[in-house]
Amino acid sequence: MENNDDMDNVASAQAATNRAPDPWADLVRQVAQKRDRAAFQQLYKHYTPLIRAFLLKSMGAGGDRSEAEEITQEVLIKVWNKAASFNPAKASVNTWIFTIARNTRIDFIRRNERNDRKIEIEDIWHEPESPEPLVDLQQRRAEQVIRQAITSLPDEQLQVLYKAFMEGKSHNEVAEEMDLPLGTVKSRIRLALSKLQILIDR
Amino acid sequence: MSSAKAGINMVSFHPDSRFLTDFASGSLATSEAICVAAHLEFCAKCRAHVQQLSDLGAQIMTRIEPEEAVDADDEGFARLMQKIDDDAVHQQAEVPAPVVSAAPAQGLSLPRVVQKLAQGSIQSLNWVQLGKSLRIAPVNVGDGVRQTSLYDIRAGGQMPEHEHRGEEITVLLKGSFSDAEGKYVRGDFVVRHAGEKHQPTATMDTDCICLVSLERPVKPSSIWYRLLEPFVQFRLSGFSN
Ligand SMILES: [Zn+2]
Repeated sequence: MENNDDMDNVASAQAATNRAPDPWADLVRQVAQKRDRAAFQQLYKHYTPLIRAFLLKSMGAGGDRSEAEEITQEVLIKVWNKAASFNPAKASVNTWIFTIARNTRIDFIRRNERNDRKIEIEDIWHEPESPEPLVDLQQRRAEQVIRQAITSLPDEQLQVLYKAFMEGKSHNEVAEEMDLPLGTVKSRIRLALSKLQILIDR
Repeated sequence: MSSAKAGINMVSFHPDSRFLTDFASGSLATSEAICVAAHLEFCAKCRAHVQQLSDLGAQIMTRIEPEEAVDADDEGFARLMQKIDDDAVHQQAEVPAPVVSAAPAQGLSLPRVVQKLAQGSIQSLNWVQLGKSLRIAPVNVGDGVRQTSLYDIRAGGQMPEHEHRGEEITVLLKGSFSDAEGKYVRGDFVVRHAGEKHQPTATMDTDCICLVSLERPVKPSSIWYRLLEPFVQFRLSGFSN
């Protein structure tokens, strides 16, 4: 944060996308450019409990604590190694780390399945990227809308979103677990998404 | 990102909110996720939705109550940095594998995920010829649940009518085809459900290549069944129906 060039870059990126500052972006940049361990330590302190809780929830009943710890470490190592690929114009640090944690979780689950697969998880689940500046701009505005609107969602809708994103459950699994028809789960999620202005018209 | 989305296209069939949400939350079966990933390379709109859904996932992750805080000066961080240092030493000892970028065959740019499945060349897949207009290459994606294949329908070729026993996803990678429901072009994500019958026909000008994910094998008419039999038997080994 003490580096003036970095501050300028952050400022211009923020002006370009007209968004709230991302308090973590500068730390990731310092890790990328200077292998700055103090910056990484701040990221570590903030994100480790979140990543660990995410993994504990999403690995289900079978997920034990030491496995969750191990995979959390794996996620943080990726954050260190991939820091240079983080692009603040495209995603917030929160989203970037969420996708790394999500992909690592999928990889962990798949690792135990016997197969001779030719593709890696990251060939399918890319880190977020969009080539058009206009899309990026709309994107970052959308992220703010989501952040603000999520606080006003009814519990019923928050609960299904929580099961989907935190516990990594599919629509089918949520329906089964909650003993609801698949259509009800789908419409509940769609209703929540439309309140968050994620307007998928299908 | 990929060469596959070059140029303007007129994608008009997209994955619905269930596919996109389950994709973003990471719970979609591999075979289906591959189809969604292929579509995303053709469709900026769905890419933006997946990005929004990932933002949502991140918001939910950062809003949870962490059960216990982390002391930044704790041993955990020291252990983590030790591991990073050890890995770095280890990695320097290894010669990094050269990055091979697959050359698109005859100007055909395939989505990254399909290039990976085909190991760069779809010609090298195990194609099974079914009649004169159709060949199918099954691919193992380690899904264990659904069948994933590439279909290559010769220009103007017609597939025999068949009925679906389960969900079928088709993503058009090249060319176009039509059936009674409409015409489908490159990038389209077409879903058929159990009980639906159709008879796709590739358009005359070019061969049609599709990525197909089947929940259950199709139920063919008699002619179709004769054509498909060797393929079905091949596929059914290890597939519980
Ligand atoms: Zn789309």
